Amino acid sequence: MRFNLFRQLDGAESGGTAATSPLLAPPHAAHQEPTGPIKIQTRDVSVFYGDKQALFDVSVDIPDKAVTAFIGPSGCGKSSFLRCLNRMNDTIPIARVKGSIRMDGEDIYDKALDPVLLRARVGMVFQKPNPFPKSIFENVAYGPRIHGLTENKTELADRVEQSLKRAGLWAEVADRLDAAATGLSGGQQQRLVIARAIAVEPEVILMDEPCSALDPIATAKIEELMDELREEYCLVIVTHSMAQAARVSQRTAFFHMGELVEFDDTETIFQNPRDKRTLDYITGRFG
Amino acid sequence: MTDATLTRAGASGRSTAQLRKSLKRRHARERRFKLYGVLAIAIAIGFLALLLGRIIEQGHTAFWTHTVQTEVYLDPARIDPAYPEGTNFDQLVAEQQLARLGVQDDEAMSASRDMRQLMSAGVAFEMQRLVRENPEVIGDRITVTLPIGADADLYYKGELDGEGEEQFRRLNDRQILWLDQMRDQGRIQGQFNTGLFTRSDSTQPELAGVLGAVVGSALMLLVTASLALPIGVGAAIYLEEFAPKGRITDIIEVNINNLAAVPSIVYGLLGLAVFINWMHLPRSSPLVGGLVLALMALPTVIIATRSALKAVPPSIREAALAMGASRTQAVFHHVLPLAMPGVMTGSIIAMAHALGETAPLLLIGMVSFVPGVPEAVTSPSSALPVLVFIWENASERAFHERTAAAIMVLLVFMIIMNAAAIYLRRRFERRW
Ligand SMILES: Nc1ncnc2c1ncn2[C@@H]1O[C@H](COP(=O)(O)OP(=O)(O)OP(=O)(O)O)[C@@H](O)[C@H]1O
Ligand SMILES: [Mg+2]
Repeated sequence: MRFNLFRQLDGAESGGTAATSPLLAPPHAAHQEPTGPIKIQTRDVSVFYGDKQALFDVSVDIPDKAVTAFIGPSGCGKSSFLRCLNRMNDTIPIARVKGSIRMDGEDIYDKALDPVLLRARVGMVFQKPNPFPKSIFENVAYGPRIHGLTENKTELADRVEQSLKRAGLWAEVADRLDAAATGLSGGQQQRLVIARAIAVEPEVILMDEPCSALDPIATAKIEELMDELREEYCLVIVTHSMAQAARVSQRTAFFHMGELVEFDDTETIFQNPRDKRTLDYITGRFG
Repeated sequence: MTDATLTRAGASGRSTAQLRKSLKRRHARERRFKLYGVLAIAIAIGFLALLLGRIIEQGHTAFWTHTVQTEVYLDPARIDPAYPEGTNFDQLVAEQQLARLGVQDDEAMSASRDMRQLMSAGVAFEMQRLVRENPEVIGDRITVTLPIGADADLYYKGELDGEGEEQFRRLNDRQILWLDQMRDQGRIQGQFNTGLFTRSDSTQPELAGVLGAVVGSALMLLVTASLALPIGVGAAIYLEEFAPKGRITDIIEVNINNLAAVPSIVYGLLGLAVFINWMHLPRSSPLVGGLVLALMALPTVIIATRSALKAVPPSIREAALAMGASRTQAVFHHVLPLAMPGVMTGSIIAMAHALGETAPLLLIGMVSFVPGVPEAVTSPSSALPVLVFIWENASERAFHERTAAAIMVLLVFMIIMNAAAIYLRRRFERRW
């Protein structure tokens, strides 16, 4: 399965030798593009669930205006780390986070910082699309409403329209904004929750396996969207698809058993990984 | 690939017979289970039908009553227009009834006494009212329609007859003869028993109605609902969504579950001790009844609300929190609306239980005889289930059909509540 994928990406037939040769040709020119300044800086971040440590001393610098991908085998702590970045781990009673995470130089675990405010600045998209069981309009309008971002109804409607347009969903739902969001297809729902996230104009958008429940066409749409959003936002995605990481991200972090093994330019990770474990993983030897 | 397919085919070829056999067994098991299910439902429906059939069979006659049309000469010699209460109208009417049947009263006035017994105790009240409102009719010969007594009513309904030893019967031979004669004269009319719904409890079965108890039950339910619902739902929301999970919440949870299983009479004792003896709230009032029932309903409401909240997918909570909603916003904007159908169902079940609860009300004195309609939550009152209890224990036969009728009223009350619950649930569900 995985070999097929790589072969396809490689455009070569030599699947058997793929393990030792450079795996992926850069899919497009995106990798050469420069990234923005450092947006999020983490130092020695550890996550504990009760007595069990799930993440060990992770230090990364996540750039702005770029897509950073987290890859690694299941259970290695990608989601745990991602959830540190908007303090969603706070909502798990047994979870504990150690270390420092700074966004624009500001400690987001500072006692004085309100996680509610942080989450308005750091949006999140989950693996399973989770629209509110309300209308399409209400879903997108919810964020601006609770944060008081718009003055009146027309402004709100404007913002909803803009967000849906940016998420590439407007054409499909323009005539049924009052319909139930749960009636949309999985891919549409995922774009809806992206629209919902960008409606509050966050600075960072975290996406935890946003395409794992979607078909290739819907996935392609979301990937296109990520590529566009990258112009303005700091995007962090978790993915199990090496191809996706290679296609959309500029930086890639490889996690293994709660440790950050390697963090580098996506190109470097896929073509010239320093660590044996990274190589093994991206060539499909384990995970 | 081809190899794999072949092996699989080979393997399945060997085991097909086995598979068939086990499949047959599985299907048989499924059929058996379905049969059990149908049987269980059939038994449940059978018992329900039996229960309802029995109640309806016993109680339907209570919705029907008889009146007698009679001519009355309002003898000015016996009626003081300024003081109609001073006239013995029962006797007056009975004497004239006898005269119409051509019966001579004896010296002991035993005939008129027998005749009085056939008439309702309400005759006197109605005649007094008539005379007070229209004093000019005194001296006239007027035709009035008067209620008949409970035993006579039962006789016309075919529930009492002339069989058995006369001295052990509720109606003697003479009375039965008169009743037959009155019917033959075409003066007896059957009609819907509106009095059952417009009157309150009475010592006379033909005058007894459920109004006071219905109002009492409604007031009590109002008190119960306005206390148990907000407190119960609030407590459940706090416990489920806000309280730190730990030892204390565990202990609270266990205790709430225990409280839900405490016999209701214990709540009655508690109510007696706390609300009446200590707080000196008025005894047998809907207020105290409602308070006791609220205590009783609280655990049910809390448990139902908690499980409804638990059933809301955590992804909704996460979605709201990740959007930057505060915990309170996440709960009140998203979780609670989704849990609302479950909350409603649980609350209505708790209220329906409270409505039918009898034992604790007996302890707080609601069993006393209350002939009027309660005006406020603090005035003495009866309640429907208690009325059923009181009437069932009454000695007059005529109360027994009324017991069944009161049960029917109680059931209708509950059906209305449940229908409202279903309607509300639909409405909340329609908002996705
Ligand atoms: N809420 C939780 N309570 C207890 N342990 C948890 C919790 N969430 C995650 N863990 C543990 O933390 C470790 C890392 O989990 P995490 O979800 O971060 O992995 P992941 O890399 O996202 O995996 P996947 O790719 O399967 O999503 C796992 O061992 C998991 O069992
Ligand atoms: Mg994960």
